[in-house]
Amino acid sequence: MNAFVAVFLAATVSVTPIQYRQRTLPNGLQMYAVEDHSAPTVAIQVWYHVGSKDDPPGRSGFAHLFEHMMFKSTAHMKSEMMDRLTEDVGGYNNASTADDVTWYYEEVPSNYLQTLLWAEADRMGSLNVDEANFNSEREVVKEEFRTSVLGNPYGLFYYAITKDSFTTHPYNRPTIGSIEDLDASTLADVQKFHATYYRPDNATLVVAGDFDPKQLDAWVDRYFGAVPKPDAPIPRISVNEPPREEAKKITETGPNVPLPAVALTWLGPAASSADRYALDVAASILAQGESSQLYQSLVYRQQIAQDVSADDDLREDLGLNVITATVASEKSPDVVIKAIEAELKNLEEKPVSAAELAKAKNQLITDRLRRRETNDGKAFSIAYAATVLHDASEVNNGFTKLQAVTAADVKRVVDKYIKNQKSLTITYVSR
Amino acid sequence: MNFLLIAALIAQVETAPPPPAAPREPQLPKPAEKTLSNGLRVIVVQKRGVPIVATRLLIKTGAEADPPNLAGLADMTASLLTKGTKTRNAVQIARGVEALGAALESGAAWDNSFVTLNVMSSNLPKALGFVSDIVRNPVFANDEIERLRAQNLDALQVAMHEPRALVKFIAARVVFGDTPYGHNLGGTPESLRRIRRADIVAFHRAHYHPNNAVLVFGGDIAPERAFALAETELGSWKSGGQRPSAARTAESAVLHHRVVVIDMPEAGQAAVVVTRPGLRRVDPSYFIAQVTNSILGGGYSSRLNEEIRIKRGLSYGAGSSFELRREVGPFIASAQTKNESAAEVASLMVEEMNKLGKEPVADVELGPRKAVLIGSFGRSLETSESLVSRVAFLALYGLGLDEITRYISSIQSVTAPQVENFAAGHFSDSSIVIVGDAKKFIDALRQRFQDVEVIPINELDLNSPTLRKK
Repeated sequence: MNAFVAVFLAATVSVTPIQYRQRTLPNGLQMYAVEDHSAPTVAIQVWYHVGSKDDPPGRSGFAHLFEHMMFKSTAHMKSEMMDRLTEDVGGYNNASTADDVTWYYEEVPSNYLQTLLWAEADRMGSLNVDEANFNSEREVVKEEFRTSVLGNPYGLFYYAITKDSFTTHPYNRPTIGSIEDLDASTLADVQKFHATYYRPDNATLVVAGDFDPKQLDAWVDRYFGAVPKPDAPIPRISVNEPPREEAKKITETGPNVPLPAVALTWLGPAASSADRYALDVAASILAQGESSQLYQSLVYRQQIAQDVSADDDLREDLGLNVITATVASEKSPDVVIKAIEAELKNLEEKPVSAAELAKAKNQLITDRLRRRETNDGKAFSIAYAATVLHDASEVNNGFTKLQAVTAADVKRVVDKYIKNQKSLTITYVSR
Repeated sequence: MNFLLIAALIAQVETAPPPPAAPREPQLPKPAEKTLSNGLRVIVVQKRGVPIVATRLLIKTGAEADPPNLAGLADMTASLLTKGTKTRNAVQIARGVEALGAALESGAAWDNSFVTLNVMSSNLPKALGFVSDIVRNPVFANDEIERLRAQNLDALQVAMHEPRALVKFIAARVVFGDTPYGHNLGGTPESLRRIRRADIVAFHRAHYHPNNAVLVFGGDIAPERAFALAETELGSWKSGGQRPSAARTAESAVLHHRVVVIDMPEAGQAAVVVTRPGLRRVDPSYFIAQVTNSILGGGYSSRLNEEIRIKRGLSYGAGSSFELRREVGPFIASAQTKNESAAEVASLMVEEMNKLGKEPVADVELGPRKAVLIGSFGRSLETSESLVSRVAFLALYGLGLDEITRYISSIQSVTAPQVENFAAGHFSDSSIVIVGDAKKFIDALRQRFQDVEVIPINELDLNSPTLRKK
């Protein structure tokens, strides 16, 4: 019965590829375009290949602080003009900073496409932040730090996972940084960072939605083509994280922690690794949904955890496989850790069933499909593949590769990245 | 070289943003609907492109129907639907739904309880079978009740350590006292322990009827196909007796002006709220309220965020909203800030609210704030799930589904004097609630506001309108 279901489901999933067009400008800018005329809107994203791993020394959190400055004045725009050009006409804009990339995105009525291409090119070309703006926006980022790290009882837990999991690679610096390093940053750092990383040959532009392709190309040439490519090479991080020599168990504390939490982490492959799809499937089998192995064991049957998650958090240089759980009241963190280890042992020893494999694939494929409902989602998927995975075609090929994952693949990656690697176990309790 | 030279010349002249082209009108979705013979209203909004369908089954009764000492009953009832039916236990439901790649969720909100489904269109027929089964045949097994009770108690314990979550629980008590919107819809530690299986079974029996429900489909599904599926899965669902009355006493809208501080010495940041009764969803001033809020606290460039974040760097974000319900729901302005600036943030909020009722809004501000609403309305039609949610709430409150086609013009017709009048009548005598490390802001707060009540966190009682343990 289960095998029949698996075969039936696998046969019904056929996904229409996203039709995108790629160009490279003479100054090195990568452009991707996806047409969709179903609504009169267009999504524009500019991804810069720079993230918190590129924070200057003594300036943790700088790439993110800098991202906030990109909404301040340029040679031709005053502060917050991006909001005038997007929000005020019925669109929106925002930006995000991750370890490897920083991306700026907006969605606007399609008749404003030319305006926004001009504006994105303008802030790529120049940034002109003054001291008052810099100081006030730095206070905003410090409040963001307080909201995400101090205002949430588990903020310091996630902060610790990042900090403790890597010994050497700058991935050990949380993207949000620290109050001290934010305070140490200067306006001069801002100009230097822009000159170093915000350049056409370090950027990927994606436009998705309602536009005329010839017109788009002409505007992109006119505005982005005018941004010069600097001669200096782009600095790249080339630090190798050494393999862990031994398994470690540590305790971290925070104020006001209502229920303890535990995390187990292992170093993983780069996001572009061929193993990523099997790792996605393994994480899904472990903890996606209430029928997953860890949820069933820890939350449902034993009732020792309030929740559990498993994530293959793969980044450009290397990744982190992470399992976290919140310990149920009056239960012991050690019992939760032992239960996680037992489930992992079970996964290492017992092949996953055809039904479990099909279930994980269906969940992952449906997740990917949901992101295609919006222009913004399509633009994001392409830009992520093009920058972090180094291959835009993964946006479509990912479906095929995911479908091709076998039970043997799952066993192989679990052996390679969990069983044969050293774990770090963090117990998070109240101070 | 040539290329660069030309480019530089162009760059020199392009110092201002190019103007927009002519706008294109959006295509608004047209819902189709049918009422089954058992009274179940079925609404379908087809949207081609991605092979995804979202559905939402709404029961038109939610946490407002919780008995006063059983806060959390509606939510426990709805959450238990997925935990076992006459023919499937919780594990079989989870496994069956997840094998389809589907997401099935149930819970209670104000004025409604819901079951939502999001699934690849090819798997919709099978997945809808689960929706039908859980809503009609739940067994509410004792071990599932105890499991959920323990989880909810733990979740509540976590929320009560989080200023931003706790401040909302307090705000509801301050605005609504012991009337139906006054309690936390997830319950309190005391009320959750009091809920018995018989209460849950009775709640389900009283409210889960097709003639007290609406089923909405959105996405990759043709109306006729959706009607047929609804008939197959839910056509034999038996109607209930009387539809529960939606009537409620008017006392829920009585204004209680209070300034309440919950002292949480370990809070790393303070959560600040300014709140008071707002308006009903069906109030004729709905569109004026939307525009007013868009100016005050809806979106990045609204006045609250402008004053608190952009100008002063006091918060990562400040905003406000009218929570629209069957009866008068709350207006809430909120922000998180370092403990030291909590009093200043509360003052700024009150000032901006008052200002809006005293000075007319200029067209240069009014136009963009309307555009914010119109743009966000358009985006809410983009995903199947948000489309379904918008239509379902129109149906819940008995509003015409044609509001979708009238929305843009209704927003555009709101005038500056209407906003000024509305603000003058809806923002006065608001209450203030702050959860944070009181010693860092209490003096400043007392300088700015009178009659400040300080309640230490260990003396807090969420069950009481006074908020204090006896």
